[in-house]
Amino acid sequence: MPIDFILAWRNIWRNRRRTLITVGGVLFAVVLSIFSQSLNRGSHEIMLDNMIRFGTGYLQLQDEAYRDEPSLDNSFTWEAATARRVAAAHPRTGQLLPRIETFMLAAGDQATRGSLVVGIDADAEQRFNGLTDRISAGRFFTPDKPEVVVGQGLARRLQLTTGDTLALIGQGRFGMSASGLFEIVGIIKHPLREQDDQIVYLPIDVARQLLSAEGQITTLLVAPERASETEAIATALRRTFKDDGIRVLTWPELMPELLNLLRLDMAGSYLLSGILYIVIGFGFYATVLTMTLERLREFGTLISLGMKRTRLIRVIFLETLSISLIGVAAGLTLAWLVLFYFRLYPIRLRGDLAATVIDMGWEPILPVSFAANIFFSQGVIVFVLALVISLYPLLKIIRLDILTAARS
Amino acid sequence: MKPVVMTENLGKVYNPGSIPVTALRNATITIDRGEFTTIVGPSGSGKTTLLNLLGGLDRPTSGSVCINGIDIATLKDPELIDFRLWNIGFVFQHYNLIPVFTARENVAFIMLLQHRNKQQIRERADQLLDEVGLSHRRDVRPAQLSGGEQQRVAVARALATEPKFIIADEPTANLDTAAAMNLLDIMERMNREKQITFVFSTHDQRVIERARRVITLVDGAIVTDRQHAS
Repeated sequence: MPIDFILAWRNIWRNRRRTLITVGGVLFAVVLSIFSQSLNRGSHEIMLDNMIRFGTGYLQLQDEAYRDEPSLDNSFTWEAATARRVAAAHPRTGQLLPRIETFMLAAGDQATRGSLVVGIDADAEQRFNGLTDRISAGRFFTPDKPEVVVGQGLARRLQLTTGDTLALIGQGRFGMSASGLFEIVGIIKHPLREQDDQIVYLPIDVARQLLSAEGQITTLLVAPERASETEAIATALRRTFKDDGIRVLTWPELMPELLNLLRLDMAGSYLLSGILYIVIGFGFYATVLTMTLERLREFGTLISLGMKRTRLIRVIFLETLSISLIGVAAGLTLAWLVLFYFRLYPIRLRGDLAATVIDMGWEPILPVSFAANIFFSQGVIVFVLALVISLYPLLKIIRLDILTAARS
Repeated sequence: MKPVVMTENLGKVYNPGSIPVTALRNATITIDRGEFTTIVGPSGSGKTTLLNLLGGLDRPTSGSVCINGIDIATLKDPELIDFRLWNIGFVFQHYNLIPVFTARENVAFIMLLQHRNKQQIRERADQLLDEVGLSHRRDVRPAQLSGGEQQRVAVARALATEPKFIIADEPTANLDTAAAMNLLDIMERMNREKQITFVFSTHDQRVIERARRVITLVDGAIVTDRQHAS
């Protein structure tokens, strides 16, 4: 083992209690920081996952005018050739989910409400997000039949249930009037509350017919085999469709407001971590300051004997780094164990909060995130902290007058 | 043969900007290989200043210090550190061993700074500890050694790099008579058998009597420089 490391290692254990207190401080900061970020991220991940799976998808293809004016007039043609081009753009494009959607009036015997009418390929949706498993009453529709599945919230508002008839009235493509009567064959508990209150699912071909938009879709959701490849696939698709008047949007582009909101929420966690690290940093600095000042004479001796200042700095840096790494490693391990425990036995919500969460279709728990970068970032932060704190002994050694040190 | 140490009109003034204190003036000395020289004088006479200048731990304000023909006052800090490593051994009054290293590691460490072969380092450290009578204490840390034992480890450490000469600043000041005499026996033996040059400062009359050359300083000036019948 290199002698510098041996020297550094033994030095940090010269005052065992002081080192353990410092390590404990770092450990505490790491655990608390990871835990708070993990709780926040856990909730965000569920929220984003639902938004992606039931809302935007990982990426979408739209007519280039659709984003600014989401109308059936800005739909695009969906045919086998287009599907082949999408699939050929990238080797792991994954699943394709064509959708056609518009707003219409939904009416029962007792009431009329605005609704979001979405024509879907039920099998593709089921593979992507398990949509058909969310049926709370009845069954999912049969393709090509005039059957619909409505959100639980909408059904309640319209005072309708399975077996009842739903009237949809609105405007189809190019101003054509669109209306039809459909049998409600299922009620779905939609995980996105806003959609639960207004969603009407019907077979895509039936929807096209209703909306006078045969062969058209408003959005094509793409579900990559690996979510991490979303950006790469988007780039490939943009290249493929650059001359077709089709815009490719990734989920962060589709939900900028939500992302900003989540970022703002995370800022609270980061602030807490920042304060923790400042407090711990000062504690750490005090340790390094004491370690440096009580050893000035030793430093002077080492330099007198022929140890280069740069090498001495390296030893002192190794000491600071070792304390940090022990603290970080212990902190990461403990944080992982704590998170693992809370994954197995999650913190359960109670009362109104639990009811609200259940209402949104989620489990009433505080989920934890195991995202690697939460753990990784703590390592980086503490490493940088160690670097900054090492500056003091470093400067002290650079400026050390060996005779003054010998008299200290 | 070149002298090991040669100074010419060596002077040191502290605080030259405000109230100057002349610690050493016009010191001209030549020390040849194998000498066993002590520098004596009352407190504040400039003994430590002279040793610091000879050891390259301080820079003169006037004159020159040549060690083996090299004027060390002209060397830059990193060069001077390197020069000390390869040419000068130090024995400090307070031993100044590395507390987290064992006796053997203290002796070996300085040779590691010279990037020597590990096997050679181990053998030499053991041999030197044997020579100072501490082979049985080689795996013990300084805190568990007596003052005399620590100083003997310090002598072994000073010898480890095979320096041109060894500087010892009041090496016996913190030792009892038996330990002091034992240390002097070792230093004398090394000097006699290996022709190692020793320059040390002391107040201790027992040490002065064992030196072969005695340089006396008073108020920063050399007043006598005489060979001593040992």
